[in-house]
Amino acid sequence: MIIGKMAAAAVGFRSRGGGPGLLISSIRCLNSSASDDKSSKFQPPLKPVIVDKTQSTTSQRRFVSPEFIMRRGRTNPLKFIMERKDMIQRRKLLNIPEFYVGSILAVTMAEPGDNSKANRFVGICTQRSGQGLGANFVLRNIIDGQGVEICYDMYSPQIHQIEVLKMEKRLDDNLMYLRDARPEYSTFDFNMKPVPNSAGSEVPVNLLKVKMKPKPWSKRWERPQFNVQGIRFDLCLTEEQMEKAKKFDKPWLKYDMQREYDTSKIKESIERELQKELS
Amino acid sequence: MHLTAQLLISHGRMYRRMGLGPRSRIDMLRCLLTALVRHERIETTLARADEMRGYAEKLVEHAKRGDTDSRSMELADFWLTEKDLIPKLFQVLAPRFRDRSGNYVRMQEVPNRDRADRARLAVIEYRGNPLPPLPSSRPAQNPNSLVNQLLEGWRRDAAPGQPQAPNGA
Repeated sequence: MIIGKMAAAAVGFRSRGGGPGLLISSIRCLNSSASDDKSSKFQPPLKPVIVDKTQSTTSQRRFVSPEFIMRRGRTNPLKFIMERKDMIQRRKLLNIPEFYVGSILAVTMAEPGDNSKANRFVGICTQRSGQGLGANFVLRNIIDGQGVEICYDMYSPQIHQIEVLKMEKRLDDNLMYLRDARPEYSTFDFNMKPVPNSAGSEVPVNLLKVKMKPKPWSKRWERPQFNVQGIRFDLCLTEEQMEKAKKFDKPWLKYDMQREYDTSKIKESIERELQKELS
Repeated sequence: MHLTAQLLISHGRMYRRMGLGPRSRIDMLRCLLTALVRHERIETTLARADEMRGYAEKLVEHAKRGDTDSRSMELADFWLTEKDLIPKLFQVLAPRFRDRSGNYVRMQEVPNRDRADRARLAVIEYRGNPLPPLPSSRPAQNPNSLVNQLLEGWRRDAAPGQPQAPNGA
């Protein structure tokens, strides 16, 4: 009876597109299991491979960390090749996740003197700068009423873990204006639970516009050179001040073609290299 | 250390200072670029031609993307002050350079200006223009020079089935 059921199952398996070979192998298994239990190894069933066919390959998010994309210049490309090799080697040891300015990260770093002890810091990423191995990011948080910004080297061997608690983007690439914003926009709980992000879809953009402390600020954020989109200027500045700021605008920069830097080809080639090495 | 030393040293600066300021520089280059697109060959000072070169090539690169591209049209509208040249850019210049990637512009120095300033002049032109070729500044190759004679002999030996007898045979 049991053998009959297994045979039926084997037949069922075959009809799914296995072919006669599978049927033979399943019968062989049956035969071997009937005769010798110890020599035949248990073959676990194949794990199902989930392929998300609702999204095409083009829409799936391809992320190349900005420090891989080199600046324009006259440096020898060999420098970038060698640096990329070292970066990939480091990334094989430490998982540096994808994150953007505005995401909330938790970084565990070893103490300068004692490698066994580690300090954990949670904060919002305000800036990402540096090229290659010197890439760094700044995390900001307010602890006991004091604003703290820590700049971490991404490829430093002192870093034990980088964890993304909340992955999101903001309206700007540089959140230095949080220094002059009200403290509630920079406070994050050290024990906050990581927010699970739906993998493969678009990064959520937080359209939050921040309320500022009264002027004077550390920089004149209303001026067009900073191009800040994420501040509620209507609550802190008068029309006159906004008009005054517009005088510093340089509208010709938008049309300056030589300032354009098309990184698509470089990005593609680096992406291929990273996929080959890191997966 | 002097805090504004970076502003005084011009290491790595991409752009020359021309005209009354950055806006004036862009406006001047705009006029030159319009003239280049209209006449396909212009003569200016070396510095202006060199500054303009990059913009001329980038304009052609954008034009190659087609006039349906909004950014290309916006840039063409800004850089060409005479609007009858916008169709010329997209319908004459872009197809001309369709098979070429880069180096759309040729710059050549010419003798200094005859005026008191003795300015260094250059002629800048789009390649493939219908105008007669410029007199080349390089002297023509002398076919009777030793090196050229040796090369000619090597070519003859390398090419099979040449019925000419070698010199001195």
